[in-house]
Amino acid sequence: MTIASNFLVFVALGITLLLVWRQSWRGRVRLFVVQSWVLAALAVTLGALVRRPALVAVGVVFAVMKTWIIPRVLRRMGHGSPLRPVAPGRSAGLPVLGAGALVVVAYAVMLPITGAVATGVPTRGAIPLAFAVALIGLFVCVTGRDALGQVIGFLVFENGLFALALLATYGLPGIVEAGAFLEVLVLVLLMEGMLVQIRREHDSLDIERLRELRG
Amino acid sequence: MIVALLALPLAAAGLLARARGRLATVLHGAAVVGTLLIGLVLALGAVRGTEAAALGGLLRVDALSGWMIMVIVVVATLAGAEAPRYAAAGRAFYALLHLMVFTMLLAVCTDDVGLMWVAVEGTTLASVFLVNFERTRASLEAAYKYLLICSVGIAVAFCGTVLVYYAEVVRQQTLAEHTAHALRWTALLALAPSLPPRVLEIAFVFLVVGYGTKAGLAPMHTWLPDAHSEAPAPVSALMSGVLLSIGIYAIARFKPIVDAGAGPGFAGRILLGLGVLSLAVAAAFLWAPANYKRMLAYSSVEHMGLVALGLGFGGALGVSGALLHVANHGLAKSTLFLLAGRIRAAYGSAEVTAVRDLVSVLPFSGRAFLLALFALLGLPPFGLFVSEVMIFGAGFRQGHPWLAGVALALLLVAFGGLLRAAHRMLLGAAPTPAPAGAAWPGSVPIVVALAVLVLTGLAWPPGLGDALALAAKVVSR
Repeated sequence: MTIASNFLVFVALGITLLLVWRQSWRGRVRLFVVQSWVLAALAVTLGALVRRPALVAVGVVFAVMKTWIIPRVLRRMGHGSPLRPVAPGRSAGLPVLGAGALVVVAYAVMLPITGAVATGVPTRGAIPLAFAVALIGLFVCVTGRDALGQVIGFLVFENGLFALALLATYGLPGIVEAGAFLEVLVLVLLMEGMLVQIRREHDSLDIERLRELRG
Repeated sequence: MIVALLALPLAAAGLLARARGRLATVLHGAAVVGTLLIGLVLALGAVRGTEAAALGGLLRVDALSGWMIMVIVVVATLAGAEAPRYAAAGRAFYALLHLMVFTMLLAVCTDDVGLMWVAVEGTTLASVFLVNFERTRASLEAAYKYLLICSVGIAVAFCGTVLVYYAEVVRQQTLAEHTAHALRWTALLALAPSLPPRVLEIAFVFLVVGYGTKAGLAPMHTWLPDAHSEAPAPVSALMSGVLLSIGIYAIARFKPIVDAGAGPGFAGRILLGLGVLSLAVAAAFLWAPANYKRMLAYSSVEHMGLVALGLGFGGALGVSGALLHVANHGLAKSTLFLLAGRIRAAYGSAEVTAVRDLVSVLPFSGRAFLLALFALLGLPPFGLFVSEVMIFGAGFRQGHPWLAGVALALLLVAFGGLLRAAHRMLLGAAPTPAPAGAAWPGSVPIVVALAVLVLTGLAWPPGLGDALALAAKVVSR
């Protein structure tokens, strides 16, 4: 069973790297949906491993939220923005290299606390991988050239943290899970409203145009 | 009692989302006064040593919570009194204001650090629409940055909370059921000495970065000047006056756990580093501020840095100085933001150079602004002088004379800059045509706030010292 969970997290990391490489919005949303399915499967797998029905329920809610509701909102956000091809002279090679380096960083941070000290946690080996997903998501978020890139980066970051929480704790108390789900949902809806307004004001989602406030 | 304190603003938010016109104003007023009264009764009990709990211990108010409740309800009253001027533009204003108060109260009233996280994230979501309330390009940009940066920050704090829970799993070495209520602060504190120190240390780094973003500590402060300067005045007052302190409060809750588990000194060193950095960043900007609302916002970075220093120096003196500073800064800064809103309404600009001859244009608001600015600068007889003396005294006493010296020098730089800005705003000929100083109702709360600031500076009311000592004991054991 731990082999299954390690494999699932590994796949999720692979998808994250693809997402860094991929530049089209539709492609990125599709990759995000696939990744969310993988993580929902992870929740169900772990639920079976430790016999906690609550985890299976978390997996189902997660799947509904991140493979259905949020992607719908994301596709709405993408409407109307020109499909931006990779700008000439800016290949995706460098970001992918950066993402690879972040995997190393994730191991450096997480190994000391997932090695010998944590022998009681069978899934400890995958924790650095999940953290790498989160770090790369953050990387996509901060280097995003437009608001859409920042939103998808944030969502991948959130997915990585969800996987990390699963692997490290086998489910947080229900009230925290519920709260976290609700907040992500509200946040994405708020973001959508804001993007609509940004597009109306600036006729673009390029964050370079958001530069009224300095100093 | 705790349930009532939380239910009132929540119910008010629900009702106010539907109410209109005069009814809304009356409801708003009643909710503000009700929250103030219940909050004060609860807080006064807590800081005298009677802890309250509800819902099976999920909600728990100790002396530290009591102290924070007091600051929240007082600042919320100040902001609430000024809110009717701004609420005319939209119905959602009152509702979101009360929702924000609810989330802030929930964050300090709960014993569960997971629920605290949910509440702190809730404060961001409730306030982001308020930041963008004027719907200008600038406020939109501020709100976007605020939502994105604070959400990332709070997600990092989530990671830290998960790692604290993980520490508890590691301790047990099995996948048996968790200890009951393993995310309860009281349970964590009891377990702390047996938790793996390395895990706690990494968790604390995540928590400080995450909640530090909400608290506006440098280098995670970049959203703060934008959001605080673009939001309507009552919202800025709430955000600068208490919301930042709630980030600090969350860090302070975890500090004793990390101190007990990973040894003293680790958490303190991080807080000292961030504190000095915040002072430096703020001093660099405050040397020549161009916009007075941004000036107040950067000054919040400065004061949160001071509070972090107080917690970092530690000891009873440092922590109680930090807590007193939270209250003093909350009063002074929220008053200043409310008055800045009036000045902006009169002059139509937030630039320092646009404001001339302030005291003759706005006789009351101008004078009050000047007095509150003196308080913020830490001049006696105002309370901030006392709390700053306590913080620096702790620094010298706990063996950090160099650090305290550097911080003091940075404080002087900021002092000079703020004074220069005040000088510019007061002197000069009033622009023609002279801006009309509209009549502002409800100046009583501002006078009361200034009076309380003098009180905490000159003569502590009976019981204040004991209350502070009790609250400080929660953090430094």
